[in-house]
Amino acid sequence: MKNSSKVNLGLIFILSTFLMAFGLPQDQKKGSPWEIPEKYMKMGNPYKDDAGLTKVGKMLFSKHCKSCHGSKGLGDGTKAAQLDTFPGDFTIDAFQKNSDGDLFYKSFIGRDEMPNFEKKITDDEDKWAIINYVRTL
Amino acid sequence: MKNKILQLILLWICLALTSIAQEQEQESKPVDKPVRSPFEGGMLIDNQTGVIPVKNTLEMLIQHRFGSMENGISDFFGIYAPGANLRLGLNYSLLDKLMVGYGLTKKNMYSDFQAKYALLQQTRSGRIPVAVTLYGNMAIDGRSEEVFGVNYKFTNRFSYFGQVIVARKFTEWLSIQTQGSFTHYNSIEEQTDHDKIGVGISGRIKFAPQSSFVFQYDHPFSVGGKSESEPNLGFGYEASTSTHIFQIFVSNAQGILPQDNYMFNQNDFMEGELMFGFTITRLWGF
Repeated sequence: MKNSSKVNLGLIFILSTFLMAFGLPQDQKKGSPWEIPEKYMKMGNPYKDDAGLTKVGKMLFSKHCKSCHGSKGLGDGTKAAQLDTFPGDFTIDAFQKNSDGDLFYKSFIGRDEMPNFEKKITDDEDKWAIINYVRTL
Repeated sequence: MKNKILQLILLWICLALTSIAQEQEQESKPVDKPVRSPFEGGMLIDNQTGVIPVKNTLEMLIQHRFGSMENGISDFFGIYAPGANLRLGLNYSLLDKLMVGYGLTKKNMYSDFQAKYALLQQTRSGRIPVAVTLYGNMAIDGRSEEVFGVNYKFTNRFSYFGQVIVARKFTEWLSIQTQGSFTHYNSIEEQTDHDKIGVGISGRIKFAPQSSFVFQYDHPFSVGGKSESEPNLGFGYEASTSTHIFQIFVSNAQGILPQDNYMFNQNDFMEGELMFGFTITRLWGF
């Protein structure tokens, strides 16, 4: 093989590797179904009709959730790409069909890459404020 | 005698019934909670705020002051200038209202032990309109013995700082606090006061859910009239997330430790004797 062919092959290999790095979709898996304890499944939202809390929820969502879930809950936050599991799209019907109790458990108890927020958001009213805001997405 | 015993029993029953009634009344009242995050964290440039993280939270602080900006672009406005100061601190919330901590500062190798207690918390209903917080520290100068001259005693290294902070969150975007303080150094150079009284005002103007403009002004008053130090003015930007708080600012005091700022600051803000600084706070809940 001529030297020039070797150089060409090498260049093609480097270029294709470079393009693949950007072109191939990242292997981000979808989360497996959650096992929600009965206590949470039955849980009602005591602040469901408190419209004033939505603004508080938006503020808290920005502080605690936005970096992974994105400002509009599309799962496209700045940290989302580093996660093994897609953080979910909050705007789709399948997500919004979750009961308030399900969302409470998923949001604040968490599992795997979804951290537990019980010690960061200690007031239940604040937790429900975030759920109320997520319902508006 | 029997009558007296009867009267005592009746009195006791009345008192017991009254206390039960009061408990029931308290239970039926809605809980008046403290206002939500009047400040993002426990520090506001050089000042403590009334915020204490929830019980069992460990807080790590990295506080940095660069060199003076006076030389302009030649040392990139002090960022690459010599004479920077650094404090590394760890605080732990023993209770929701009580935090203790330790820090080590490069200047004078101060080791400081501090405590902060939330005496009153502003409530959402307005029943308590302001938050009142007490802060105190004791610092030990860690330099070599020779610095302290003749008649050296270990207690010569000690300095103390006590402060009362009165804060109010006016709106979701505006929080202001005033602080009054007393500084004492056990050993100090001749022609210098041992004590200083300080008053100040600082605040936060929040312009986005995670971003705020922060400012402070601290004015020292001489006790004894022997020595003067310069007021400390600072302003900057604060960003916060769930577990981090980041502040970058310009100010004119480099001591980091409050008693050092009040006692020794000779930088004049109006003369442009300023420096960049930043504080990184990291929180861990246990």
